[in-house]
Amino acid sequence: MAESPSVANPDANSTVSRKRRKIDPDSPTRILAETGPTRWRTQAEQQIYSSKLMGALRHIRRPDSGGHAAVRDAADRVLAISARGKTRWSRAILTNRLSLRLAHINRKHKKAAKPSAGKSRPRKPAVLQKKLPPVQSKVKVLSRLVPGCRKVSLPNLLEETTDYIAALEMQVKAMTFITGLLNAGQNFTSS
Amino acid sequence: MNSRLPEMLHCLNSTTSENCEMSVLERQRSRLKQQEQLTHHHPPIPYFNGNDHLAYSGFHGDQALSDLVLNGGAMKPDPGVEHDDFRRFMNYGTGTTDFQMSCALPRTVSCPPYVAAASVDSAAGKESCKKRKAHNLKIAAEEKKMKGCAEEESKITEQNSNSKSTTTTISTSANKNNKGPSANAKKASDAPKTDYIHVRARRGQATDSHSLAERVRREKISERMKYLQDLVPGCNKVTGKAGMLDEIINYVQSLQRQVEFLSMKLAAINPRLDFDIENYILKEMFPACPPAMEPDHSHLQFNTSVEEVSGSGLEMVVGPMDATLRRTISAPITVQQSFLDSSSLNQIQQVTWEDELRNLYSMEYQQGRSTPFISQQITGFLEANHVKLEM
Repeated sequence: MAESPSVANPDANSTVSRKRRKIDPDSPTRILAETGPTRWRTQAEQQIYSSKLMGALRHIRRPDSGGHAAVRDAADRVLAISARGKTRWSRAILTNRLSLRLAHINRKHKKAAKPSAGKSRPRKPAVLQKKLPPVQSKVKVLSRLVPGCRKVSLPNLLEETTDYIAALEMQVKAMTFITGLLNAGQNFTSS
Repeated sequence: MNSRLPEMLHCLNSTTSENCEMSVLERQRSRLKQQEQLTHHHPPIPYFNGNDHLAYSGFHGDQALSDLVLNGGAMKPDPGVEHDDFRRFMNYGTGTTDFQMSCALPRTVSCPPYVAAASVDSAAGKESCKKRKAHNLKIAAEEKKMKGCAEEESKITEQNSNSKSTTTTISTSANKNNKGPSANAKKASDAPKTDYIHVRARRGQATDSHSLAERVRREKISERMKYLQDLVPGCNKVTGKAGMLDEIINYVQSLQRQVEFLSMKLAAINPRLDFDIENYILKEMFPACPPAMEPDHSHLQFNTSVEEVSGSGLEMVVGPMDATLRRTISAPITVQQSFLDSSSLNQIQQVTWEDELRNLYSMEYQQGRSTPFISQQITGFLEANHVKLEM
């Protein structure tokens, strides 16, 4: 992507213009500029994501839980937030978190092991197993991979997948960058 | 045809449609001009795309017509009214077009914009022709919405339809039949003369409407698969839906695994910063005070696995960061520690904070991460604070 050298200057501009657009809620430019999977490829977007992720990481309680699950959750949540709710998968990530939290609270209070909505749906008994055509079965697998897209039609699913892949790529890039930063910092201090 | 565009612009201005559409149209038009220059495609097609976008921007989510939409046209998304699918679909195209405009970069080549792939790059010429024809009629059908521009659009669609092959008229006319013969359809059928005849012929055949709807759906799917093909590496070699889906699934899984792995790495790094963070949060750096050499502390502040002590703690973090920032830019790892004075000072620093953050970050990226890692650390932490200040 021949963007990085030339993005530096418009980078500031895009962030500035992004801010300007926020002020004006009526203009469609705000909405239009931030939709579509290509938006994930900008440096500005990665910048925003990394900063939000750093902020979120700070909020993670250190000794709690298996560390990496919390980090993963935080990363996904921040990614979904960066999507600004325009895609189904981002909304699903955020709502799943909410429902999980509620379930957790309920479990704490009532001590009733009620599973959250999307988690333990009873599987179809394997009595009548119709062998789906390979394309259909793959579509099902894909729909399970993309969060919140289990009952989505194929064209919508493909659209969600496109955005999801772009977002994931950006997430990987940003996290690699942050990891590199922290690693470098750590090496510096330890040496 | 170029002369038509300012006419349409003016026309749209005069309509009841909102002002925001104008900017969208302008953008699309300029993008189309860019596309022309870049792709050197034969003239009618970019104009046609431009018309698509123009038409779509005036479209206000008519439910009957929403199913007709195949490609990402430029649409002003109207969240309250539109179909979910339709809106997102529109957002696709508009996002890319407007995005290009906003970033002021000729991105038509680099990014795989939905519309560009569909319309300009007519490798699958026939298929895209069909879509354009469908757009043709959609544009015509939307005349109802854009009252002032009805004549303009119909003229344009007429011109476009005349320039296209006749094979494509079938699908579009059948589409119109599918969605119900409203006044729209009739108007649309009246406008392009070549289509009119085909519409007549098709009306009686109900079975074809199903097959044509099926074809529309298949075209939608194949177009999005093409888009995915650009996105997923290694998908070009495989043909057929099953193979491509396989590749896509593998790619998504690998990306998710990568994220998991990176999160483990991050989690491994974070707990190691087991310092007494509070000291640094509560202290503020003054440039007047003599610098103290405390490399690990400065490092600490950049590695933000710190728990927020309080709301005021947040501001305090900004303060020390600002001073350390200045300090570390000038001399490596000299951190000043002093005690907190007042929150007002913090806020002042916050104001200048943003600019520094932005400058640093742009500088950082300009040099392609070849800057000394110290500034990298700074930018890393700066981003975090930058977000806080934004919010």
